[in-house]
Amino acid sequence: MGTTKKYWKGLEELNNDPAFVQAQQNEFAEYVPVEKFLENDSLKDTSTSRRDFLKLFGFSITAATLAACEAPVNKAIPYVMKPEEITPGVANWYASTYFDGNDYCSILVKTREGRPIKIEGNEMSPITRGGVSARIHASVLSLYDTGRITGPYANKAPSTWETVDKEIGAKLSAAVAKGGSIRILSSTIISPSTKQVIADFISKYPNTKHVTYDAVSYAGIIKANAQSFDKAVLPSYSFDKAKVIVSVGADFLGSWLSPIEFTKQYSKTRKLSREKKEMSKHYQFESILSLTGSNADKRFAVKPSQYGTVVVNLYNAVAKLTGGSAVASGALPIDAQIEKVAKALVDHKGRSLVVCGANDIATQVVVNSINTLLGNYGKTVDVETPSYTKQGNDEQFISLVNEMKEGKVGALITYNANPSYTSPAGLGFNEAYAKVGLKVSFADRLDETAMNADYVCPDHHYLESWNDANPKAGHYSLTQPTISPLFAKPRNEGTRCAQETLLKWAGNESDFHSYIQKYWSSHVFPMQGKYMTFGDFWNHSLHNGVVEVGSGEDAKMAMGQDSSNVNASAKPEVAHKTTTVGGGGMFAQEVEVEVKEPKLSVAEAAQSISKSAKAGNIELVLYEKTGMGNGNQANNPWLQEFPDPVSKVTWDNYITMNPEDMKDKYHTLARYNQMEMKADTANVTVGGVTVELPVFPQPGQARGTIGIALGYGRTGAGMVADGVGKNVFTLAQVVNGTIQYTVSDVTVSDKTGNEHQMACTQTHHTMMGRSIVKETDLTTYSTQPVDVWNEKLLVTLGDKHVPASQSNLWADHDKPGHRWGMSIDLNACIGCGACVVSCNAENNVPVVGKEEVRRSREMHWIRIDRYYSSDMTVEKADAEGKGVVDKYLEMENPTTENPQVFFQPVMCQHCNHAPCETVCPVLATNHSSDGLNQMTYNRCVGTRYCANNCPYKVRRFNWFNYIENDKFAEVNPSQNDLGRMVLNPDVVVRSRGVMEKCSMCVQRIQEGKLNAKKAMKKLEDGAIQTACSKSCPADAITFGDLNNVESLVAKEVEDERTYYLLEEVGVKPSISYLTKVRNLDAEDIVMHEEHKPHHGGEEHKEEHKEEHKKEEAHS
Amino acid sequence: MNTLCNKAQQAFSALLFTLILTILLSFQTVSAQPDGAKLFKQNCATCHKLDDTRLTGPGLKDVFKRIPDDEWFLKWVKSNTKLTASGDPYAVKISAFDVSTMNEFGFLADDEINAIGTFLKNPPAPVVGPTGPTGPTGEVHVEKGLDTFWTLVIIIIALIIIIAVLRGVKRSLSNVVNEREGKPANPDRNVWEETKVWMGANKSKVALIIIILLSIGSKMAWDAMFDIGVFTGYKPSQPIAFSHKIHAGDNAINCVYCHSTAEKSRHAGIPSTNICMNCHKGISSGATTGTTEIAKIYEAVGWDPKQMAYNMPQKPIKWNKVHNLPDFVYFSHQQHVVVGKQECQTCHGDVPNMTVAEQVSPLTMRWCIDCHRETEVPGMMANADSTLANPYYEDLHKKLAEKYKGQKITVDKMGGIECAKCHY
Repeated sequence: MGTTKKYWKGLEELNNDPAFVQAQQNEFAEYVPVEKFLENDSLKDTSTSRRDFLKLFGFSITAATLAACEAPVNKAIPYVMKPEEITPGVANWYASTYFDGNDYCSILVKTREGRPIKIEGNEMSPITRGGVSARIHASVLSLYDTGRITGPYANKAPSTWETVDKEIGAKLSAAVAKGGSIRILSSTIISPSTKQVIADFISKYPNTKHVTYDAVSYAGIIKANAQSFDKAVLPSYSFDKAKVIVSVGADFLGSWLSPIEFTKQYSKTRKLSREKKEMSKHYQFESILSLTGSNADKRFAVKPSQYGTVVVNLYNAVAKLTGGSAVASGALPIDAQIEKVAKALVDHKGRSLVVCGANDIATQVVVNSINTLLGNYGKTVDVETPSYTKQGNDEQFISLVNEMKEGKVGALITYNANPSYTSPAGLGFNEAYAKVGLKVSFADRLDETAMNADYVCPDHHYLESWNDANPKAGHYSLTQPTISPLFAKPRNEGTRCAQETLLKWAGNESDFHSYIQKYWSSHVFPMQGKYMTFGDFWNHSLHNGVVEVGSGEDAKMAMGQDSSNVNASAKPEVAHKTTTVGGGGMFAQEVEVEVKEPKLSVAEAAQSISKSAKAGNIELVLYEKTGMGNGNQANNPWLQEFPDPVSKVTWDNYITMNPEDMKDKYHTLARYNQMEMKADTANVTVGGVTVELPVFPQPGQARGTIGIALGYGRTGAGMVADGVGKNVFTLAQVVNGTIQYTVSDVTVSDKTGNEHQMACTQTHHTMMGRSIVKETDLTTYSTQPVDVWNEKLLVTLGDKHVPASQSNLWADHDKPGHRWGMSIDLNACIGCGACVVSCNAENNVPVVGKEEVRRSREMHWIRIDRYYSSDMTVEKADAEGKGVVDKYLEMENPTTENPQVFFQPVMCQHCNHAPCETVCPVLATNHSSDGLNQMTYNRCVGTRYCANNCPYKVRRFNWFNYIENDKFAEVNPSQNDLGRMVLNPDVVVRSRGVMEKCSMCVQRIQEGKLNAKKAMKKLEDGAIQTACSKSCPADAITFGDLNNVESLVAKEVEDERTYYLLEEVGVKPSISYLTKVRNLDAEDIVMHEEHKPHHGGEEHKEEHKEEHKKEEAHS
Repeated sequence: MNTLCNKAQQAFSALLFTLILTILLSFQTVSAQPDGAKLFKQNCATCHKLDDTRLTGPGLKDVFKRIPDDEWFLKWVKSNTKLTASGDPYAVKISAFDVSTMNEFGFLADDEINAIGTFLKNPPAPVVGPTGPTGPTGEVHVEKGLDTFWTLVIIIIALIIIIAVLRGVKRSLSNVVNEREGKPANPDRNVWEETKVWMGANKSKVALIIIILLSIGSKMAWDAMFDIGVFTGYKPSQPIAFSHKIHAGDNAINCVYCHSTAEKSRHAGIPSTNICMNCHKGISSGATTGTTEIAKIYEAVGWDPKQMAYNMPQKPIKWNKVHNLPDFVYFSHQQHVVVGKQECQTCHGDVPNMTVAEQVSPLTMRWCIDCHRETEVPGMMANADSTLANPYYEDLHKKLAEKYKGQKITVDKMGGIECAKCHY
């Protein structure tokens, strides 16, 4: 970056005079005899005594203080011409759409004075239904990323659009004249208008072909569907309709396909109430401990090479029960369990769902067959409403790379794709790229691909541009700009919408906004019958953000429209028929598939699976972290500091390995990496590519496997991301024409001798016998009295035992008006952490960087505690006569094979008898009449007594002035003018020496109250939502007024599952939790009881056990 | 600032004079005839000026020298479209000349239109305001407070000098006397030494004085500490000599006409420059400062008064903020204005009489809280009439009325002085 201009201060510098170079190294131009000066004895005789010094010191401080009392002159600069829709101080909301080639989400964007500052979900979307993920919450900060380039680059130097357009135009024409081919390489494009733009471009340059390639490919499923149903599509899944869910290696709540959509659906089946005492049963087979696996009712740790066999054996078991014929397969140690899973599936025919994360055609064909046997098609799986969000075609991409290697590609335009970073090393994309005549990238920064491109034509951020989306058949949505482009003339050359760039090169000068309108008026508008005029239709669609063109005839038309739209761009493919296979989710290509490949029968698929299932000594799984995803937003510090839901590690990727494996096979690595401790590193080698990473002990990781997260190790993302972790996209393998993210042939070295410090936000692993997370199982919950599974804690008051809720050390606060409270359903919460990033954005929570996280100084107001179950219990330890130290040490160690996982969001509990309030010497924290534990920053003097006295450890201290201290310049976005634009102006930015904590989004409470007062009406339940409750994709957090008996939260608190965190300390929190319920098999319940760390009354326990035994006998 | 005061005073007197003159003149023209001047103001002035400058329509100076006759004037004003359609040559000519069509005034009676015509034939002499400070006391005006202070200082210095001189005189006289009487001369002590001798002789008095001085000093220091950061009376000069008195006072423009967001947002808002242009498109010179200050608006907004078009670059006005609250305070205007039904003047003082905006209230937390302790919320008043009763407060009011039987339910009783109401 930077200019090629040379600046110098003197000729010496210009000529690199040796004396100058030497002098340059010295900080001080002249020799300063500091030591000599200090050694001088005459110093003792000087007249400046200590007293004098102190006097002067005192005087200067007083003088400085008094000088500071001068009133600063503040300027108020109003608009010259105020835009009609802007009222200073009032937020405007716009419906828009997020799609980055990976995640689709219909969103609402909150803007203040023209700046987008917060993203919320759009409840009108039938797909995402108001859910948002951590990544999408964080995307608003990516807009203000300093890593973005502010204008086009030509040959690695800043250039102008005029030059770039002229030169590229000439080169493209030259390429066409020479008969060289032009290729557009993009990630999935779901925008029909963009596809039309590409089609326009292709008609101008007929030698062009559009290749779609996803960083994490789903080509296997698409091809399998082509095999099974003649439809090269991704189906729509309905987890909400499934009673039994089986997932084989698919992290559908964290990263697989459409996690927001699936989380919304999944949590629906997990919610319980007095009226609805049934929930779905979720089985998970996987190697790494994923977010989805952590939430499963029953989880099986299997190696990735066994995924195929698991699927085939499950098929056989289902076939056996449904009268189908079995196919040949290998045996697995868990076959008996698989049969049970099959039984559960068959019992819920048409209300079950089997999904698999393997990007392997044969495996997916068998999965399709299982779902067919179970009659799930048309019920929980819908191929008639295909999803278009993943259209990557690995074979096309691979053949493109081969073409490039042969020097056949005259020009390559990359759009929203970064293959230099995301392609497997084995493909050799970088060498191939060097052979391309004209390399153009639309990247918004000089990323790994763009830094080697001839021209970089930066695209707008999605919040600055128009776009449309067609995520599913019949579903359309619009993206609208919520800010005028940040980098624009006259200060910068500016960014330009990629579609407009392409149109311009194709000789069309129209802007993309009118282009979309034109497209919609001719393609989308005719598909609906609700609005008579296009203007009406457009305005409503833009206002709602989404539009459904209906079912039946409309949908069919829509699908026809989709395909016709793609037809145009797919046409040139006919010439390459030999190299093209299906995929792309496009009907035009289906026909080809049908003609080309013979269909795979289940038996053949099974055969293919057993052939390729070669178990290795150590197998590798490459996975996407919930926060980082495929790394396209890696330069976003909110995401870097977002603790991984399962490992709780920030700012790193690492090798996850089962602690037992570390002990047995790599005993030198058996070291827990916690906080100040260091992790040993090891080398992972796959096909000649070696990556050195720290080893992290991960309970639940399948024995003999390791996992590494994708998305790290960026080199061209920007200040924040570069050098964080290692890139492991290079380790992915191309097998059978698809890119595989599991590798069975891996070598893992012993420890290298290097150490790496990791920053983990949670050091404790289990609850150590305390009832922090209460849990029970569905059978107990639905058949036993509440005391059995949600025992009320008793405290001794005088000579009586009374429930803890009834004892009161202090007089209650009077709460005549509202009483804010929150109920968190631990059964619905999946631990995804969307709330954490949402809270970051809403409350200006500072980013502190890895070093500070290591010192436990992360500032997140809401954390999600993750607990594992332990083999050791208090009872067991006592029985074995273990000492206290040993007991707790062993209790701290989770069950390594397959621990149960608990997630618990913890924020300030807004205690009614808050211990923090009583110890504050300056009354900076105190209680409000509506039940809030208020924190007054301007009064706080930073004694930190409150944090010491908080039983929940939710208070955060500002050790530094994070927004100004140079130490945080690289990580804290608020350090520059651009990053500061994301700050919420309604929440004060805290300075050094101040305590802070969750305020229950008091700014939102105040706003909601004021709106009700102004409207002269009662406050409606749900009118006020905190950032976390609004953004939870699982609807696990309910916020409201406990004094309003009609409110949802008041009803939830009355639920029998309600308990309070550490109720026995008597602080009377305003946040309540709903007991977690697992849908366990009968034999697991007994086991679980033994595992259950805490249980109150002994008598109860005995009773309870016996009942279970009876039940078991009964069944 | 001082100059501004002076200017404003001048403006005021000039305005007063004009007003009186106008009133006197209007008394003279009282009759049964329709009032041409009034009708012109009501119907024509939004588009036409009396001089030769253009507004939406052309300036009407010497208009009757241009148009054919009074009859044409009558027809044109009644319905210019009809007249143009009838093919009247002059009407066709001016319609072609101007794209914007004039409104039709068919509702005006003939004699009313004639009255306007009469008015236009004899327009009042244009009021020309001074273009700069010309008053004799213009630039050396000194504020009274400072005046007394410096007088005091000068008197004290003079007194000290007199004391010193007298002391010297006294000593030399006494020395002369001593010499004559043969006594030894007074020791040659300076003032300090003499004071020390006196202090040695009067220890109790000295102690008393020290105690008194210390007490006064501490009290002053204590009071001064409370004034740190309090800027009551802060009255910064502004880039444009905007006078609230002329706008809100003399012309009685409602506060929220300009500060329109006070009812919609936490900020009352400095009006955007286009709000100024709503009136100042037509009013290009003021009584006090003539065109100089208004021209600054035009410059900011990029308005070319000659061509009557926004064709110049825009330059935002950088006002000096008068009322500054610290960043950690969340104050909402709409809460106080809409829900609390407070008058702007309650906090901002008698703005309609301020030529230069000034901070009247201390804006300290104590000041806020004192008010919250005394003020009843309109929706919560025990005997609130139905228009004020706010259903939002219904339940709360019931409970609080029970708790504070008979007492006023003030803001603080419903949590209005809790920290998180303003600090978050």
